[in-house]
Amino acid sequence: MRRPSTLTAYAFLYLVFLYLPVLFLPLFSFNSGTIVAFPIKGWTLDWYRKLGEQDTLIQALWNSLGVGTVVAILSTAMGLFAARAFVRYRFRGQRAAEGLVMLPLVIPGIIVASSMLVLFLFLGLKPSLLTVVLGHTFLALPFSVSILKSAFDDFDASLEEASYDLGVGVFETFRRVTLPVVSPGIVASLLVTFTVSFDEFVLAFFLSGNQPTLPVYIWSQIRFPAKLPNVLALGSILLLTSVLLLVLAEYFRRRSSASEVQ
Amino acid sequence: MTTGNIIELRGVEKRYGTFLAASGINLDLKEGEFFSLLGPSGCGKTTVLRMIAGFQEPTKGTVLIDGQDMEGVPANNRPTNMVFQSYAIFPHLNVGNNVAYGLRGKAPKAEIDQRVAEALDMVELGGLQDRGASELSGGQRQRVALARALIMRPKVLLLDEPLSALDKKLREQMQFEMRNLQQSLGITFVMVTHDQYEAMTMSDRIGVMFNGRLKQVDTPTTLYARPCDQQVASFIGEMNILPAQLLGETGDMLSIDAAAFGRIEIERNPNVVTSAKDMNIGIRPEQLEIAAQRPEDYPSTVQGTVSNVAFYGENIHYHIQVAGTEKPISVSVPNYFHTVDFQRGDAVWLGLQGASVIDLGTDKK
Repeated sequence: MRRPSTLTAYAFLYLVFLYLPVLFLPLFSFNSGTIVAFPIKGWTLDWYRKLGEQDTLIQALWNSLGVGTVVAILSTAMGLFAARAFVRYRFRGQRAAEGLVMLPLVIPGIIVASSMLVLFLFLGLKPSLLTVVLGHTFLALPFSVSILKSAFDDFDASLEEASYDLGVGVFETFRRVTLPVVSPGIVASLLVTFTVSFDEFVLAFFLSGNQPTLPVYIWSQIRFPAKLPNVLALGSILLLTSVLLLVLAEYFRRRSSASEVQ
Repeated sequence: MTTGNIIELRGVEKRYGTFLAASGINLDLKEGEFFSLLGPSGCGKTTVLRMIAGFQEPTKGTVLIDGQDMEGVPANNRPTNMVFQSYAIFPHLNVGNNVAYGLRGKAPKAEIDQRVAEALDMVELGGLQDRGASELSGGQRQRVALARALIMRPKVLLLDEPLSALDKKLREQMQFEMRNLQQSLGITFVMVTHDQYEAMTMSDRIGVMFNGRLKQVDTPTTLYARPCDQQVASFIGEMNILPAQLLGETGDMLSIDAAAFGRIEIERNPNVVTSAKDMNIGIRPEQLEIAAQRPEDYPSTVQGTVSNVAFYGENIHYHIQVAGTEKPISVSVPNYFHTVDFQRGDAVWLGLQGASVIDLGTDKK
């Protein structure tokens, strides 16, 4: 059964259109010329070497890593309780609550960013890494909730009951049964929410003030043609890291589903 | 003060919104008995079990365990342990740690290890401490769940459909093993099941539930021979239910006209009320004689035609169409030296003795 025809061609072109531009990024990051255009002048690793010498870049990297870590922990912790409640309990306004948690996925980023900026200024919070953390947590929550909801879906509720029944209290049950059983889901959520925060630009641009995160730094460098190959090298590293983190997250997410199936 | 009752339910009711899951439940369970709650799915039997365990609070009424009112006492502080329908084996722990779970931090490690070994021996899983939870078969999971509950030395062991996930052969084997275990430990077992055979083979007493109400609490033999109404009669085993007329009574004996079977003397059933002329009787399929010739020594005989035959191996079921009854009469015959072998359409005789007829009383209005 082979039907190469139009459908296959369409699918092929679709993938090319989607990923080819992304592949140009690493390709030109090895180009020794500073102009991003064919033909490639020669091959070099200089752009990567020079990355380490730029203090502002290193500072932005640390900002991003710090924000990502805090966001991952905050949104996963919040998502854990929300997801458990959504799966375990039936309560008034449940559907509305689930919908509201997912809303950040569809609200335009620029609207969220500008309204958050107004809100934070109104509250007297100066744009800083703290406001970026708050914004990113809001943005990352739907990701952690949906990952952890699928982890709890596979979680037999009688496991917690069995623990109570054996004389163990609510908090110890959470620590000894709930956490370990959903731990692959937690790891997946940490990785995904970290990646969401690490790659986010619009919110960070509005809320970071004079403490740029890595994407904000890249945007500021892109205006200088001489810096472009450098940005390409940095972008390639980010791309690779993100893909690796997400593949890892998917591995853990699947393991959380598989562990419950007998 | 002790009444000898380990569990007492007093007027227990459970309501979910407008749905009445259980109501008017009064029940006394004796120390050391094997008690089953039997009923179709959705009858409220699991709700009753979960109220004893402490996973649900009654809307009304009182649950007493060992004389103590359990109101407000959470599951983790009750002297009961439960074997769950899904077994709820902790997937991240091995067999030894699953069984030791409830003792961790409450006893010295050496004592825990020893008790785990004993508990595993008891359920014939000795030496499997290091086996992972995912490597266990269905039967082994059930045994681990038993060991994990019994190691806590509960006053009452609660079992929620403990055998329903096992295949038939293993289920029958476990019925005997669990019965032996219960008798050697002397702990009260309360089991929920929808399987009447399971309930009958294992229990000292059975409580039959329908629509949230406890209909009858009795020994298996009494339930079988003296059911309190038609519903219980047809849920416990198979039953031919026929209309009859009450002709007269002397002491505990009733004289009735049993339609096609004619006039017959039967014993009064103390669990039902037989007051009006119109009444019902029940006849168990295995209590009827079936023969090619008119059987002797039976006070009541009737002729009929075989309308259906089903071969069950250990016995054969016939449906006999008899003049004067709507539904065919079910007859079951042990497959004993293959002495009976009727075909569909054969003319046969049925023989009935008064002692085989169950008085099901007057229809309740």
